[in-house]
Amino acid sequence: MSKKQIILGAQFPGVNNFTVWSDPAAGSQIEFSSFRHFAESVERGKFDFIFLAEGLRVREQKGRFHELDVVGRPNTLAILTALASITRHVGLIGTLTTTFNEPYPLARQLATLDILSGGRAGWNVVTSPGAFTGANFRRGDHLPFRERYERARDFLETARSVWRGGDFYASSPHFDIAGRTGWGPLPQGAPVIAQAGDSDDGRELAAGHADLIYSRHGTLEEGQTFHADVKQRLAKYGRSRDALKILPGANFVLGETLEDALEKQKAIRLQQVSPKNAIVFLEQVWNRDLTAYDPDGPLPDVDPDVAVEQLAQGRAARYDNRLETARAWREVAEREKLSIRELIIKVTARKQFVGTPAQVAEEIDRYVQADAADGFVFAPHLTPGGFDEFVEKVIPILQERKVFRQDYAASTLRGNLGLPEAWQPVAKAV
Amino acid sequence: MTQTSNFLLGLGLHAGAHGDDPDWRGFWGGLVGRLDGVAEFLTLEDRFADPGQDGLDAILLANWLAPRSRQIGIIAGAPLNFVEPFHVSTAIATLDYVSEGRAGLLAQRLGWQRSAEAGRAIGALNGFPAIEQPSLDSDALAAIEVVRRLWDSWEDHAVIRDVASQRYVDGEKLHYIDFQNADFRVLGPSITPRPPQGQPAVAVSWTADADLALARAADVVFVPAAGDLAGMAAKLRGDGPGKEPKLIADLHVGPDGWDASDLAAAIRTSAAQGARGVRLILPDPHRQIADVVDTLVPALRADVLADPPLGGHLRSRFSLPAVRNRYAAAA
Ligand SMILES: Cc1cc2nc3c(=O)[nH]c(=O)nc-3n(C[C@H](O)[C@H](O)[C@H](O)COP(=O)(O)O)c2cc1C
Repeated sequence: MSKKQIILGAQFPGVNNFTVWSDPAAGSQIEFSSFRHFAESVERGKFDFIFLAEGLRVREQKGRFHELDVVGRPNTLAILTALASITRHVGLIGTLTTTFNEPYPLARQLATLDILSGGRAGWNVVTSPGAFTGANFRRGDHLPFRERYERARDFLETARSVWRGGDFYASSPHFDIAGRTGWGPLPQGAPVIAQAGDSDDGRELAAGHADLIYSRHGTLEEGQTFHADVKQRLAKYGRSRDALKILPGANFVLGETLEDALEKQKAIRLQQVSPKNAIVFLEQVWNRDLTAYDPDGPLPDVDPDVAVEQLAQGRAARYDNRLETARAWREVAEREKLSIRELIIKVTARKQFVGTPAQVAEEIDRYVQADAADGFVFAPHLTPGGFDEFVEKVIPILQERKVFRQDYAASTLRGNLGLPEAWQPVAKAV
Repeated sequence: MTQTSNFLLGLGLHAGAHGDDPDWRGFWGGLVGRLDGVAEFLTLEDRFADPGQDGLDAILLANWLAPRSRQIGIIAGAPLNFVEPFHVSTAIATLDYVSEGRAGLLAQRLGWQRSAEAGRAIGALNGFPAIEQPSLDSDALAAIEVVRRLWDSWEDHAVIRDVASQRYVDGEKLHYIDFQNADFRVLGPSITPRPPQGQPAVAVSWTADADLALARAADVVFVPAAGDLAGMAAKLRGDGPGKEPKLIADLHVGPDGWDASDLAAAIRTSAAQGARGVRLILPDPHRQIADVVDTLVPALRADVLADPPLGGHLRSRFSLPAVRNRYAAAA
């Protein structure tokens, strides 16, 4: 049996502590030259797509702007369209919320990206946090959790009607619109749809409507469990198991030897979790001011404050049960004798592939063949050159193993991902 | 024969559907290649919700054109009444980064019919104006204010990368804009750092039925060349010398040809009446562009427009004053 082909996405290092800015090799987060470097590098490596996350409000901590991490990014659709102009093959996937956009303007922008890229547009559909981000938008209100997904579903169906070209029309609980566009069928029929929600509702939306899932389940066992869970949801929408690809987010560290790579990983994690940042992470769970604590000392004796409003705003991951999380963290810290900073380095780690290029390539391949994933969305820790070494050293090994393309086979993102060329309407769940 | 000096020549196109030609990339790629270094600027009108004419999103098209050109200023249109000012502000700031200071925003005022169609295409929503001219006009002013404040909401050099204090950004240099009117509120700051020009040029097309306040809110005002340019210039000067927006005279280039000496005469008149430049509006660029670039522009250069494009930041080409950040503490 031939081996599964690996899908690779390249996330531009963005607004979070994984992006190391204190390194001398760290370049601009906003100049176009950085985006050009990044895009040319991953296209040289035949990556499937470039991926951008979204955050529509500057993050805050204790009522002040969060100063410790990279902040500031271009408009997602604008920079992707600019990148479409200087690349020929690589897909361009933007994370865009259905909460603070409307179907017609957003669908026509995605249509524009699909047309100008010759069929390389993708949309990672997120439902966004609430009122904190809403403060930047005309309709500042936000929706209860359940309604956000209802809106997302309606939004996608409405967007599809716009993408078909010609007359569009929607009359649903969330949208009542009509009009007529002047473009014919889009190069891909419709942009590739990705989904990153993790809840039951999020997984159902993906099973019924998405082509890709960007997941946080990167370890072998969690990945396999998630993969199996989502794939078994497809049948009731009349979709085959190949119709939805699962791509956990992951990082990598390369070295001359495994020891060298592990040393580097340690140094990178220390850059990612600075002493002050360790305290900020702890405050997200404890929900109190912990600036008086020593990052290199033990965890606080006091318990999290569950009475007051959340101190951290604008982050995708939140700790819903603070008391439980604190108890678990304490246990780890006591068992392994970890300081605050060491603990945070441990508990906030994402899946990392660490080793020599050959070891990293082998492990990526193993995960994919074992159905822990269909590929990965990698985020390097450096802008803009974070993929250069990966492209030079890891990609050729994946190609030799015959699990990654030698060259782009199709002209559209949909085609390169091995998805049905023309979009097919998805049957409703029965 | 008098030649104007330092007089700007721009072209006005729209980003909508152009006939049945489905080769959008071929058309726009070829066009910007021809115009770069020939015209000082290009305006891209957005045909948002124009039935059957609706095509590309103009700001995104502008971002696609920018890396393919080196010199031409790109002024992208947006119907501010029907979109989020926050997204417009970051997208134009991005255009300014991608083009290295050649970006402008054309704040489009749609006619009543188009507004009704645009309203139908987005649906009735909280925070958006009623489809009545006074609401639309005051909303456009509010949106321009929000877009501009967001550009200022990051001071220059807000990114400090200070390893000693472990801080990437200086939070004191980010500012809430806290805009609020009866219809909507935008808190800020932007998610995009201040663009290279500080304030990309904001342009409007002004006709006599529009509120003068809209023209006053702009940096660049397009007015019909046949209208009362001198009178308009006098009205705009109300704000004190040096602060008034620059006037650009619109000349329509008919689809069936032109008389270069007539156009040259109109340019001379416009310059005499205080215009800073002209914009040639091409209704059918697919058919017209080759002739305009190969024949008309050289004829105008030989006759009346002495200088080739200036280049540099777009604001400076319009002779707009240096901008100061409204939120930066006085030095
Ligand atoms: C791996 C991953 C990445 C995400 N990235 C973003 C993002 O960039 N911007 C955003 O607003 N939400 C992001 N989200 C949030 C989700 O898309 C979703 O809206 C949120 O998780 C709430 O839905 P859920 O409860 O179904 O997970 C991300 C989620 C995951 C799992």
